[in-house]
Amino acid sequence: MKQPIMVQDSGKDKVLVYVWEAPVRLTHWLIALSVLVLAGTGIYMGNPFLIAPGEASDNFYMGTAKLIHFYGAIVFSLAVVTRLLWMLLGNAYARWNQFVPTSTRRVRGAADMLSYYLFLRRNPPPTVGHNALAGVAYVGVFLLYLMMIITGLAIYSVSAHVDYPMGAFGFLVPLVGGLQSARWLHHFGMWLILLFVVNHVFSTIEVSALERNGVIGSIFSGWKTVEKEQLDLGE
Amino acid sequence: MDKRVNDQFLEELNARGVSRREFLGFCAAVAASFALPGKAEAEIAKAVATKPKPTLVWLEFQDCCGNTESFLRAGQPSAAEIILDLLSIDYHETVMAAAGHRAEEALKKAVEENKGKFIAVVEGSIPTGAGGAYCTIGGRSALSIANEVCSQAGATIAIGTCASFGGLPAASPNPTGALSVAEAVPGLKNLINLSACPANAENLAALLVYWLTFDRWPDLDRYRRPLFAYGKSIHDNCERRAHFDSGQYVEQWGDPGHRRGYCLFKMGCKGPVTFQNCPNIRWNSGTNWPIGCGHPCLGCAEPNFWDSMAPYYNHLALDKTGAQPNIDKVGFWATLGLGGAFAAHAVAKIAGSKSRVIAESAASTSGKGEEA
Ligand code: HEM
Repeated sequence: MKQPIMVQDSGKDKVLVYVWEAPVRLTHWLIALSVLVLAGTGIYMGNPFLIAPGEASDNFYMGTAKLIHFYGAIVFSLAVVTRLLWMLLGNAYARWNQFVPTSTRRVRGAADMLSYYLFLRRNPPPTVGHNALAGVAYVGVFLLYLMMIITGLAIYSVSAHVDYPMGAFGFLVPLVGGLQSARWLHHFGMWLILLFVVNHVFSTIEVSALERNGVIGSIFSGWKTVEKEQLDLGE
Repeated sequence: MDKRVNDQFLEELNARGVSRREFLGFCAAVAASFALPGKAEAEIAKAVATKPKPTLVWLEFQDCCGNTESFLRAGQPSAAEIILDLLSIDYHETVMAAAGHRAEEALKKAVEENKGKFIAVVEGSIPTGAGGAYCTIGGRSALSIANEVCSQAGATIAIGTCASFGGLPAASPNPTGALSVAEAVPGLKNLINLSACPANAENLAALLVYWLTFDRWPDLDRYRRPLFAYGKSIHDNCERRAHFDSGQYVEQWGDPGHRRGYCLFKMGCKGPVTFQNCPNIRWNSGTNWPIGCGHPCLGCAEPNFWDSMAPYYNHLALDKTGAQPNIDKVGFWATLGLGGAFAAHAVAKIAGSKSRVIAESAASTSGKGEEA
């Protein structure tokens, strides 16, 4: 199953392309929001800098941070899994081969984008969906997300109540090298994700300002403006 | 108590200063720690008093004798320790009077006469480097002794973290090629790990009583440790847990939080990733335990604790020596730095394209001008 791509004429030499379908946009914003919540609570959980006054029973700082973290984790994990499934179900711009470069064209596209970033090329190569370099980087990002989910579930499993189903994830503990190394990976992974977030936000603003193709608006509406001659249906 | 319970046994206990009441209390505690139903207490008492005591052979390899110390040095022997005393310990290098050939004969005899029935307790890791030359007893390598003795035992207890997981001798770079019992003697039947540095004598006693009563080991976790003693994290049973959830932490040795008994998380406590019943049974006849006296848990009951739990007084560090800067500081500055770099890149590109646009439009206007 594969969704067809919707295209509408828009002026003389421009078309509107429906690039990001609703599940792509929804999971994008759920992941964005939950990463901020998870990182905010996670930083406190790794280094609780606020000390509660009074009796222990008067406050619940860490407890609250953990509670929010776990609700965030539910949203994050479900959104990531949904997005991964949509790589098999969605339109051409959402597919797995937008990330793993399987054609020589995508490989060349990634090289062109790299030379643009290194000031060797004046303009970014035209792409409608993800540019090929970003696509490759997103493979790493998704692996990082999976690593966060796996280490998170491993840490969570061991404090699950007796007979609570989450305890079943205990099998992950030896796979990530024990709990302390799970913690380390989980904590280190957060900083890698935050580095990605910074990169992502700045490069989107930059490309949007240069290409004037409404890339920022597209993640809200789904539609992108594309020059007719640069229309590329993703295959 | 059951009439069939051996009077001689009770007399023996009495002679050592343990009353019948204390003995039954111990049996009830054992039953409770295994979450056994009501009648089990009497069952246990009967088994302990009447069943023939299993022969125990205690082997020491690459160890510090800490587990032996742990169970010999009780200030006030409890019922548990006396049960251990009453076991027929036929070979134990540290405590036995015999030496040299007589000691080796004792081991040989104990193994041969109780083949398939005796319990082998192994303390210390087993070196395999240099053909096993790093630890030899009577000219034989630890590896060959362990293979011979444990493979003929009815059950093997790896006591302490070294025997359970390799422990300190196996820490990086593991110069002697030290292995745990499970790795050195693969395929052992009825092997159980009683990790920690040292293992708690109360757990050993409870475990032996269980074996005596039911002829099998209790349920084990994924590292072959008995769940009754290793089923919950230190953190989840910790008496300072309320301070953790509340947000009250020790930040420096001897600060007001330390004096008030706050949580030791920020001082590097590994309680959340360590499994043992220390908070419940404590040490030295229940006197106290590390966190109880203000010291963070080092995680000694976990595999590779010497490598994976370091640095001991830091929650997490970028590298294991703890000499490197704080992981959050590095992360924060890296994120800020990358943000700055991208901002600069964007400014350069956008400014470049703007000036190009201006230049191009200027060129085209001037072109038009020429045409006109
Ligand atoms: C982008 C995603 C996430 C980020 C940035 C993140 C961040 C963090 C951080 C920094 C910590 C503190 C680690 C430490 O220093 O000990 C933490 C703890 C934890 N996280 Fe996450 N996390 C994420 C996703 C998840 C997910 C998907 C789960 C799944 C269950 C999870 C479960 C946990 C658990 C159980 C803890 C330990 C809580 C405790 O100490 O009691 N996290 N997280």
